[in-house]
Amino acid sequence: MGALGHFLERQGIPTASISLVREHTETIRPPRALWVTFELGRPLGIPDDPDFQRRVLRATAELLERTDGPLIADYPEEVAEEADFTGWACPINLMPQATDTLEAEIDRLATWHDQSVARTGRTTVGVSGLDMPAAGALLSTALAGNLPPAQTLKEAVDDLRAYYLEAASAFPDPGTSKKRKAWLWDETLFGKALLDLQPKLVASADPQLRILGNLTLIPATERHRLAKV
Amino acid sequence: MVKRLSDMPEVEAHHLRRIECPTFDDTPALPGKPLSQRRVALISTAGLHRRGDRPFRPGDGSYRVIPAETPARDLVMSHISVNFDRTGFQQDHNVAFPIDRLRELVEQGVVGSMASMHYSFMGAFPPDAAEPHAQHLAGLLKQDAVDAALLVPV
Repeated sequence: MGALGHFLERQGIPTASISLVREHTETIRPPRALWVTFELGRPLGIPDDPDFQRRVLRATAELLERTDGPLIADYPEEVAEEADFTGWACPINLMPQATDTLEAEIDRLATWHDQSVARTGRTTVGVSGLDMPAAGALLSTALAGNLPPAQTLKEAVDDLRAYYLEAASAFPDPGTSKKRKAWLWDETLFGKALLDLQPKLVASADPQLRILGNLTLIPATERHRLAKV
Repeated sequence: MVKRLSDMPEVEAHHLRRIECPTFDDTPALPGKPLSQRRVALISTAGLHRRGDRPFRPGDGSYRVIPAETPARDLVMSHISVNFDRTGFQQDHNVAFPIDRLRELVEQGVVGSMASMHYSFMGAFPPDAAEPHAQHLAGLLKQDAVDAALLVPV
């Protein structure tokens, strides 16, 4: 992010950045940065809190009037961790069962995903261009040893990940996003499929598939699960 | 609550420490008009684009155009990294791409006006891959009479 500040400002466009990782910004030294302590992925802090977001954006924009850069200003507001109202339980049985299939699991979530779309008016699914049954079929084919091109597989998997998490957000008691992410890895055949797929990608002769397996399939925070497979 | 890397869970901090950051000679911070007279563009590095635009790929230093009037339901994210939260964006696009907040700051008179086009890179770019695209983009921003860019990471 900070690199763009250098590139654009050198071409005559004044810039102000939000910084999520202070150590990175201290190294890159862009002209102006506002350091925030929010979770990665949430640079404006809190979803569906326009007042909070507007304060962050305004504080960033106001840095534009300063010319004493490179500067890092510390944003004073913090975000409390999402309240965890325990008792969250998946309303439909998604626990993997011996006779269950990934395709059946994807199908069961469709009505919940529809609920999510109805509520928010949008979905972030749709990078791959595949519908979810087709994305699931692609993943199953890959698991069977017939690996598609890395980019195709990555887009299908990321769409499925968004589909599962959006669907779970519409459950009657959706819990925190942290709980829903744990659910994906702990309780779904999709999570298990990704963990099963990873070693196949790493063992592939295709360097792009190896990159996917090593870096962009399983989040760093979930890699400890690989040893269990 | 995240503070410094030393306050993060070690597995996450380790991942972030491994990312090599480029270094640059200092770039002077340019003077400009008061904020209330500036025309401002948003530039995200979240790998955002309209559904149907080319998804980002590893090593991709190019950008995608997001017209100001793009409906939220058309926005998708194809950042290659899996090491940041996407549920916030799934819930409310403004938490990563604050286009409605920028519009409100314009309505309040805090910011002069907003650009007609906004942009997204995909933050995992090698700097050398992004620099020519950023230089080209600077020219386009000037054509749109933009005199400031807000850079929003993910």
